[in-house]
Amino acid sequence: MSEDLEARLDAIYGAVLAYEAGNTAELVRRETEHGTSCQQILSDALIAAMDEVGDQFASGRLFVPEMLMAAKAMKAGLEVLRPLLSASDAKPAGTVVIGTVHKDLHDIGKNLVGMMMEGGGLKVVDLGVDVPPDRFLAAAREHHPDVIGLSALLTTTLPSMRKTVEILRGVGYNGRIMVGGAPVNQAFAQAIGADGFAADAPGAVKLARQFVGAADG
Amino acid sequence: MPEPPREPPRAEGAGRRQRLARRDGATAAAVEHTPPPPGARLAPGMDFAAPVRRPGFTYLDDERIAELRRRAVTLLERHGVAVNHPAAVAKLRAASCPVDADGRRVRIPGAVTEEAVRAAPRAVTLCGKDERHDVRLPRADGTFWMRTGTGAHGYIEPDTGKYRKLVLEDVRTIAALAGALPEVGFIAHPFVNDVPEATADVHGLGTLLAHSMKHNWIQPYGTENIGYLLRLAVLAAGGEAQLRARPIVSCIVCSFTPLEFKAMDVEAVIQCARYGVPIHACSLPTAGGTAPVTMPGTVLMAVAEILAMTVLAHVLGPGTPVIATPLIFCLDMRSGRSLQSSVEALAGASMAAQLMKRGFGLPTHTYGAGSDTPDTDGQSQAERALIAFLVALSGADVLGGVGQLECATVFSPVQAAIDNEIGAMARSYLRTPAIDEDSLAWDDLLALDAGGNFLATEHTLRHCRAGFAPAVFTRQARDAYEAAGKRDLLAKARDTVDAILREHPPRPVVDAEAQAEMRRVIAAADAKIAQ
Repeated sequence: MSEDLEARLDAIYGAVLAYEAGNTAELVRRETEHGTSCQQILSDALIAAMDEVGDQFASGRLFVPEMLMAAKAMKAGLEVLRPLLSASDAKPAGTVVIGTVHKDLHDIGKNLVGMMMEGGGLKVVDLGVDVPPDRFLAAAREHHPDVIGLSALLTTTLPSMRKTVEILRGVGYNGRIMVGGAPVNQAFAQAIGADGFAADAPGAVKLARQFVGAADG
Repeated sequence: MPEPPREPPRAEGAGRRQRLARRDGATAAAVEHTPPPPGARLAPGMDFAAPVRRPGFTYLDDERIAELRRRAVTLLERHGVAVNHPAAVAKLRAASCPVDADGRRVRIPGAVTEEAVRAAPRAVTLCGKDERHDVRLPRADGTFWMRTGTGAHGYIEPDTGKYRKLVLEDVRTIAALAGALPEVGFIAHPFVNDVPEATADVHGLGTLLAHSMKHNWIQPYGTENIGYLLRLAVLAAGGEAQLRARPIVSCIVCSFTPLEFKAMDVEAVIQCARYGVPIHACSLPTAGGTAPVTMPGTVLMAVAEILAMTVLAHVLGPGTPVIATPLIFCLDMRSGRSLQSSVEALAGASMAAQLMKRGFGLPTHTYGAGSDTPDTDGQSQAERALIAFLVALSGADVLGGVGQLECATVFSPVQAAIDNEIGAMARSYLRTPAIDEDSLAWDDLLALDAGGNFLATEHTLRHCRAGFAPAVFTRQARDAYEAAGKRDLLAKARDTVDAILREHPPRPVVDAEAQAEMRRVIAAADAKIAQ
């Protein structure tokens, strides 16, 4: 890789870490004009930046709103690439269907996870909040996701999470199911037959990437 | 409930024979820990205190209260609230509240808010199964009542200290324990894991009502469940008229922050009004998540939501008692978790309580116990002492969260016994000492001889039992502490829980016929909702 290219990818990486959505998009657009492949921009600049964000968050140096702003900047860059990626038949690392379970209307955490997953190179289908099991089922049939992610904030909606997992398993959905949210823990995830649990958004991205075989450690 | 009578000074031989018997078995008695009497005795070190004016702490002078009050009313007028209940929206429209084209967003004119606040009762009685267990808010002595944590799905076993899921049997334990803790005025049902999940509230409340003489707090988990929960209350009260005359339950009604109301909570207002069941108008904002990151903004929004619920209660069930219940959280910006005991959340609880009490005059209820740590560790004791101290001095009528850990998701009976004592201490220092000849010991001071002391004066004799008598806090010197097996705060709290449960084991307090009928209601709820 030429030094020029390295410097330009550094700039994109730096723009994401500086939470500069407009600048990120502009730098990505210019980079595509240089003829750099979308995959390389995505992998070596945007996803690399989000990996750094995840590590900084895990070590307590980055706070949630800062992580969110970085994810937004990353998404702005991704939006520039999206039509080009489609045209080039490039495939996302995997597809994840996410949603907040039935009777639960909370979406802050779920939205953050969705945005971070997109930043991690995954295609995300967000079903929104108060999603009954049959809508998860319909989405599973329509999108053939590698992973389905269920979110809940309320203790009282944990039953919906259990029921959704039961129904998905009952009809033979054989992809991975991951769960998260304030009242959820590893033991609960195991008890209801989910494949995994993550305590925070970067953890969810890491887990989903492991599930789709795009793990980077 | 009446406070335990204070023991009179006593110097002669009552209990002499017991003493001799103990002396005869001195070897065993010397190392045996004698459990303290259940619950700390509220013997405020100030028997001379007159329950005059509650001492206070404030962030908000009168000018700031007025400013926040004006803005809360204006927020409802200009932004309004979304109400996801068409029938309630129609009634609000009929009560002069403009409704947006979407049929959900309701703007509440200032005059409507002010009328609802004026009409809301200034005092509320939370009835127990009998009058001895009634809780009056505000408390007559100018202090507060406590309430157990609600919604916990985890449980820390008192005997082993192990964490596990909370089950129905634990509700009986909580009912018995909290029933005997004198600072706890009313009891909430936790989340029970060994019953159908969709009707866990119905099972939990049924067991609580059947085993508690104290007032109980309903927390519905679904719209359909509300009717079953109130039916259980009717049966436990002895009939509809009896429940109406003496509501033995009150119900939490929550906003869906920010500035929105779910159908379930609006329905709870409507159904509670039929029986005159008081509501705890509860806003649970999370600063930085569902509410502004700056605490004054979070408090303002919480208070606006509580005012909107006061309007809902006034329009949908005029006369319904409303207890303002701001439960303030903040987002841990490092992890995204909600915190109830961070310094910011504590400051928010303090401000919100002050604004509701001084700005609007409503009985006020907020967290006055609880911690964000998952265990009954040192952090837990420090955080709950801080929150009790601050909230008590901020004027709240109810300090909630007894026994709760890990941001209200876990209940610990041992922690509840400690909270009871912290609450008793806080109630003691809320009593403003009188300044008079007696409290100053003026005559003794004037008559003091050189080298004299106060130990043997009549004045000291008269007051020497007035000091706060802890049940679980340790005051031993090291030798005695080590000789007694190093029974620290947690060990003594465990002993207290043990002693209470031995002396007051869980037992039904409603008759067999009512119990059978309650079981039928629970089975019907299971059949209808949990299938």
